[in-house]
Amino acid sequence: MIRSVFLLSIGLLLTLAEAFAAGSGLNFKREVVPLLENYCHDCHADGSDKGGFQLDGHPTEAKQLADHEMWLKVWENLRSQMMPPQKKRQPTPAEREKIMRWIERDVFKVDPDNPDPGRVTIRRLNRTEYEYTIKDLLGVDFEADEEFPPDDTGYGFDTIGDVLSISPLLMEKYLGSAEKIVEKAIPITGPRIPMFQISGDKFRDPRQPKNNARWLRFETASLTEHRQTISHAGRYRIRVEMRVAGSMEASAHSAVLALRANGKQLVTEDLSWDNRKSIYLTGEADLRRGVNTLGLQIQPKEQPEVGENPLRLAVRSVYVQGPLSGAHRKYPSQYLRVFTDGPPPDDVAGRRVYARRILQQVATRAFRRPVDEPTLDRLVQLAIAHDQEEGVMFEKGIGHAITAVLSSPRFLFRAEIQADPNDPGKVVDVDDFALASRLSYFLWSSLPDEKLMDLASKGELRKDLRNQIDRMIEDPKAWRFIRNFVGQWLQTRDVEAIHVDARRILRIRDSRQAYRVFNNKVRSAMRAETEMMFRYLVVEDRSALDLLTGNYTFLNRTLARFYGIEGVRNDRMEKVALPADSRRSGILTHGSVLLVTSNPTRTSPVKRGLFVLENLLGTPPPPAPPNVPELEEVVRRRGGKLTMKEAMALHREKPICASCHERFDPLGLALENFNALGMWRDEQNGLPIETDGALITGEKFRDAKELGKVIATQRRPDFYRCLTEKLLTYALGRGMEYYDTPTIDHIAKQLDADLGRMRTLFYLIAESAPFQKRRGDGSRLLAH
Amino acid sequence: MNELNRRHFLRGLGACVALPAFESLLTEPATAAGRAVTSTGAPLRMAYLYVPNGVILDAWRPHGTGTDFKLNRTMQPFAAFKKDIQILSKLEHKNGYGGRDGGGDHARANATILTGARPRKTAGSDIRLGISVDQVAALAVGNETRFASLELSTDGVRKSGACDSGYSCAYQFNLSWRGPVTPMGPEHNPRLVFERLFGSGNGDARKKNYQARVSQKRSILDFVLSDAKTLHAQLGRNDQQKLAEYLTGVREVEQRIEKAELFGALPDVKMEAPEGIPGDYERHIRLMIDLMVLAFQTDSTRIATFSLAHDGSNRSFKDIGVSEGHHHLSHHRRRDAYMSKLRTIDKFYSKQFAYYLERMSEVKDADGKSLLHNSMSLYASGLSDGDRHSHRDLPVVLAGQAGGKLNSDRHVTQRDDVPMSNLYVNLLNKFGVPTTEFGDSTGSLRGV
Repeated sequence: MIRSVFLLSIGLLLTLAEAFAAGSGLNFKREVVPLLENYCHDCHADGSDKGGFQLDGHPTEAKQLADHEMWLKVWENLRSQMMPPQKKRQPTPAEREKIMRWIERDVFKVDPDNPDPGRVTIRRLNRTEYEYTIKDLLGVDFEADEEFPPDDTGYGFDTIGDVLSISPLLMEKYLGSAEKIVEKAIPITGPRIPMFQISGDKFRDPRQPKNNARWLRFETASLTEHRQTISHAGRYRIRVEMRVAGSMEASAHSAVLALRANGKQLVTEDLSWDNRKSIYLTGEADLRRGVNTLGLQIQPKEQPEVGENPLRLAVRSVYVQGPLSGAHRKYPSQYLRVFTDGPPPDDVAGRRVYARRILQQVATRAFRRPVDEPTLDRLVQLAIAHDQEEGVMFEKGIGHAITAVLSSPRFLFRAEIQADPNDPGKVVDVDDFALASRLSYFLWSSLPDEKLMDLASKGELRKDLRNQIDRMIEDPKAWRFIRNFVGQWLQTRDVEAIHVDARRILRIRDSRQAYRVFNNKVRSAMRAETEMMFRYLVVEDRSALDLLTGNYTFLNRTLARFYGIEGVRNDRMEKVALPADSRRSGILTHGSVLLVTSNPTRTSPVKRGLFVLENLLGTPPPPAPPNVPELEEVVRRRGGKLTMKEAMALHREKPICASCHERFDPLGLALENFNALGMWRDEQNGLPIETDGALITGEKFRDAKELGKVIATQRRPDFYRCLTEKLLTYALGRGMEYYDTPTIDHIAKQLDADLGRMRTLFYLIAESAPFQKRRGDGSRLLAH
Repeated sequence: MNELNRRHFLRGLGACVALPAFESLLTEPATAAGRAVTSTGAPLRMAYLYVPNGVILDAWRPHGTGTDFKLNRTMQPFAAFKKDIQILSKLEHKNGYGGRDGGGDHARANATILTGARPRKTAGSDIRLGISVDQVAALAVGNETRFASLELSTDGVRKSGACDSGYSCAYQFNLSWRGPVTPMGPEHNPRLVFERLFGSGNGDARKKNYQARVSQKRSILDFVLSDAKTLHAQLGRNDQQKLAEYLTGVREVEQRIEKAELFGALPDVKMEAPEGIPGDYERHIRLMIDLMVLAFQTDSTRIATFSLAHDGSNRSFKDIGVSEGHHHLSHHRRRDAYMSKLRTIDKFYSKQFAYYLERMSEVKDADGKSLLHNSMSLYASGLSDGDRHSHRDLPVVLAGQAGGKLNSDRHVTQRDDVPMSNLYVNLLNKFGVPTTEFGDSTGSLRGV
């Protein structure tokens, strides 16, 4: 410090830079200024101020370096590669990096030991989170994708607070949905006559136990039965839910179904061709306490006519409800989640106490932190006032209060409260309840469970963080994270819906034949392959590098056949070892990735290359300039048959195109052995496929497998940084800023030291400053 | 929705057409002060229908100008309505061009079309655009109807990953913006549109549900408002802005309740709600158009926007023999095979607008004129030549006579490019919103 004051007083540029050397270790005059002169000064210094932007308009060097606003613009334009403009000479990635590191460390004084945690905008639940939160809170299935308009995304994810807005339309829907959900969650009509459900496959033929009521032939007389224990004798209603299957076209085939109980026929139904999704047959019977035998009997009638398909009866479920006298009413079990002690007491005081207990539990879980007394008072008041209206029951009053809870901003938003919310210098640990929510929305897309809330209320969550992450990752609810994160990072969400023309790609004229090769089963298996792979790495704590070079994958019979891999017989997806000479290894050879990076009729080396740059190496190129001719056009103009590689080489004839295309074309070309559906091919249009190439940084590879290997070895730090950035963005709900660099560097480095183990990555993210802390609103940089 | 139900729904609409005109909708021309009403006192409607990725101009531009013009090939579906439309040429959105923002023309095409504003280039942290023309109108006259405005689209899901060249998807999927940072998310599910307009459930149950809910909602709103107030005091500036969106929403619902009391019972359109989202794209579009027309007919709203697809849409059209994606094709480089397929797509979209024109012209309004006559309905794309990402000479068709204020059956062109925003100034004025500027306008467009 004394030294720097001394040197500053001399006012020499050179020494000034040395004074800052504690930051980036770069010498401003010798290492940074020449870069700025080379790439920026033409337009933005020495009297030029293109776009009103000037780097050297300051009276002194010190003032220049203190102009944080200006340097932030430089940093942002370097990162987005908007500057220098593409027609000008471009810095190498390393040079770009150098200037950015210098700005972060020496101008902004980012302190790696005490990083700025940044600010996360208050986040409303997105559709997925809303759906799961409702499910975990009230046990109600709500299809948010159906009911709500789509969420906007930012930085590639739908968890970004700044873009998750609330329009008046959405607000209206929140209010309407709260009512609908409460109708399902609350026994509005009071305790009910108990009902239970028996799955159709429980009804079996005593002589041939393999046959069950899920699949009954019209042409064969049969009787399938189920023995059901009943606890209260009385009159019961028995309802069969079924559908007729076997033919999309009308058929004359018919049969009669009889519903039986204890050997007596209750009611019959004539069955014929019928395309309703559900058909119901209802009968009543006196059942005794103990075991009763329920039966479904088929009697054949008309045969199908020539050319018509035979029909089948598929019984989905049989519902038994009773005793119908109403002597043994109770709440269906799903309501016990809210009405923990069953129906309410009769006296007013007792009801008030019970209402308070129920609402305290519900509101605490819904708000993800203990509900304060004034709020609770108001909720109880809502419930009781309603309860006292004529003809309205206790349950309805509770329902009304819960509607208010589900409409509250404290439910719809994940608000984190801190002292001095507008002081950007004020950094605090997020409180334990907020931390519990950050964890649970990160890994479960939903509210914290009892265990997390319990630890938070005792203040023990931070202590137990790694254990809790382990527990959460192993919970089936972690699938939600996998599907949301991987679905957006590797775009597996798009696999099932992306438009492709399989006939054109496969060169099969007949669409049914093409469909046999590539269909929805293949698509969903592709999606599952990538998602199961990621889940496996997390649950088994494997290295993230397996994503690139793993010698195993997840397949079922359908996908294995599609890939041309032998020996997989199961219909269920399973882990399959890939032999050393396999053509596939890692996600770059997954059908999912290959498919979503293709055009509808052909592969796109550009899209594939960009995918690798953006999602694996974390070095996206600048946006494409307008008016670039497409590949086919260039090839046509040349009037020749070119290999994809020769054609792509044309991209790079103009320098303005070359600067970017040489970065991603080779990466996409490396995957050319896989067609637009992800199937292997040895040649294209009768020409051989050339897949060898090199990264812009020089590393060479011969094919897709080697590309994966190169990224996993020589470019490993890039891959770790990229994965860290994506996960942090998803988990925090904001984009990465200059002050996040030390956090990303730290995590990537630790991850490397721990051989890429996935659990380590999750621990580090949850332990990082931006995840653990928050600060007040506003910019920390000094305005000029 | 299966075929049967779909037909049922449309039949329902037929019945609706036969309903007596909503005479009560007629206001005294003198008292209405000209806000969203025609000279006869009938309601005036404003509609915007958006088509993505531009058109093949050679097959689109009409032959001749003024009142002496002939429709080109891809506009043939409009032939029956030639008297009710005018084609506008040489309108541009300068803010669509990249300039220092670089790539992302599709995001900008979608963002600029109704706002005339430049979207701030951001992937998310600080989206900013400008208020859209429909919302300027809605703020001024929205009180006249049950719904200030209606926003529709057919896009149910966002693509995974980033949107166009560093722009947040918000720009590419929302036409209507209530303010610079608040997009009006459109509704894509026909059932939900219907239920929102006319209540859920069937027949009497529908009415009862609605009434019951309206009264219950008040106590809920009181609760959440005071809850929001407590929260508001504890938040930082940015968070308060987000909460403000919530509060606006709540206030809107409150107003809706007040309006419900003012307007009385919901219009009974004597039909079942549509079942859901049809698998077939054309049916989906037409169902949304049916709903739009129905909303106008019942005077549930006077302002609507409908995005037939977001700009940059890569939808393929197998039913009409186009299996490549629309966006992919739009970069045609003048290849015949591509251009011919694009003309097929252009015509497909023209047919959808023709369907809208047909429906609007069939329905009689309170003053005996057609709904179409009493409307200003704009059909436009934010790109003209999708291949070159051109934002000038945009394809624009303006239908309806605004109750006599618009002169249709002509091709209006300009000597030099004129901001599209000038058209919006004109339309807003005719709609009864006094303003001299909008977006990047330089005046009011003349000659329409």
